[in-house]
Amino acid sequence: MGFVKAQKSKAYFKRFQVPFKRRREGKTDYRARIRLINQDKNKYNTPKYRFVVRFSNKDITAQIVSANISGDMILASAYSHELPRYGLEVGLTNYAAAYCTGLLLGRRVLKMLEMDDEYQGNVEATGEDYSVEPTDTRRPFRALLDVGLIRTTTGNNVFGALKGALDAGLDIPHSDKRFAGFSKDNKQLDAEVHRKYIYGGHVAAYMRILMEDEPEKYQSHFSEYIKRGIEADNIETLYKKVHAAIRANPTAKKSEKEPPKQHKRFNLKKLTYEERKAKLIERLHALNAAAGADSEEED
Amino acid sequence: MPAGHGVRSRTRDSFSRPFRKKGYIPLSTYLRTYKIGDYVDVKVNGAVHKGMPHKFYHGRTGRVWNVTKRAIGVEVNKQVGNRIIRKRIHVRVEHVQPSRCAEEFKLRKVKNDQLKAEAKAKGEVISTKRQPEGPKPGFMVEGATLETVTPIPYDVVNDLKGGY
Repeated sequence: MGFVKAQKSKAYFKRFQVPFKRRREGKTDYRARIRLINQDKNKYNTPKYRFVVRFSNKDITAQIVSANISGDMILASAYSHELPRYGLEVGLTNYAAAYCTGLLLGRRVLKMLEMDDEYQGNVEATGEDYSVEPTDTRRPFRALLDVGLIRTTTGNNVFGALKGALDAGLDIPHSDKRFAGFSKDNKQLDAEVHRKYIYGGHVAAYMRILMEDEPEKYQSHFSEYIKRGIEADNIETLYKKVHAAIRANPTAKKSEKEPPKQHKRFNLKKLTYEERKAKLIERLHALNAAAGADSEEED
Repeated sequence: MPAGHGVRSRTRDSFSRPFRKKGYIPLSTYLRTYKIGDYVDVKVNGAVHKGMPHKFYHGRTGRVWNVTKRAIGVEVNKQVGNRIIRKRIHVRVEHVQPSRCAEEFKLRKVKNDQLKAEAKAKGEVISTKRQPEGPKPGFMVEGATLETVTPIPYDVVNDLKGGY
């Protein structure tokens, strides 16, 4: 082609329509959001809760959110960086940790709404598809899963968090098609495999393989596990203890944060409207006084 | 070929989205709630094809008489011949905006209730009726000097000096 004048002219920019801010940031899928948030008008102000699960490189965020014109309101949230409080310090973004985070959030919400005695959920995690049964007194807490922008493939860790919340006793409409252990051939969920994933069995298997074949890689990859004395055999018992600890006390801990430091100001502080008016009045008074003095001198 | 009279005829501009506002509509339209008796403006959103009202109702204001899952029933006045009919239409929420026509009234209601409660506490009688602006009160003009203006006799010479 040679020299191509590929310019974005002023006209181009004048006509360009920017997408929504969160779309520009690549954080929100508005098509999905509209469908998740839309509440029946004849239900007026009844909130529609979303069970939001997001993964960062080192953390899992699980939140129960209801939408509002001024901004979404978070009813409760759980992070996988809280799991050290319950005894789990490594592997904070795997399927098992996602399960723990979902479980923590579910129990936390139920405790907040004082429904935790009524709805115990599935205490013993078997990996089978479990849906909450409504009791006579109150209907279960309903939320809709919001995965965000991830690709919903079978065995994605997001569904680990979903399973955790379901076993906690939340009512989240779902199907078992995307749980780890669902085989497309027989179109059935293999509860055994799913249970293995919930208890970190897949991690344990990899540990065993590495220990056999590549011990140096095992040392480097699972160094944190080794440091804490976690071995392939006691992973399951570790997660069982974490689940029990979560069910025992799911309430969030208020973190003590000291007030932020005052930094030295290098530029002038912006004055408020009142301050600017006051300054003007002062100046006028000074001018009047000086003018008065001058006119008196003249006279 | 003659011009058609289809349902959406002559709506090329009124139903089109404004400049640089095409595509997904902001979610606050879905989050608003409407109660029966509220006043709403009907304004068609061309991006949503379901539940559109007929072009006649675009720009009309009416009261809500029904609320369903995704739509609002609005009662709008329409002049048909020599009378005005109250038409009841169902419109999806994307084509409806809360009307501000009754806002001033609502605020005044609240303020008047407050004033009446205060007056009752003090035991005095007040009238909260709005009074129209009356004629301006009389006032004395201050600091005015008298300048008598008289016409000067027409001076031909001076006036022709400029242009000839």
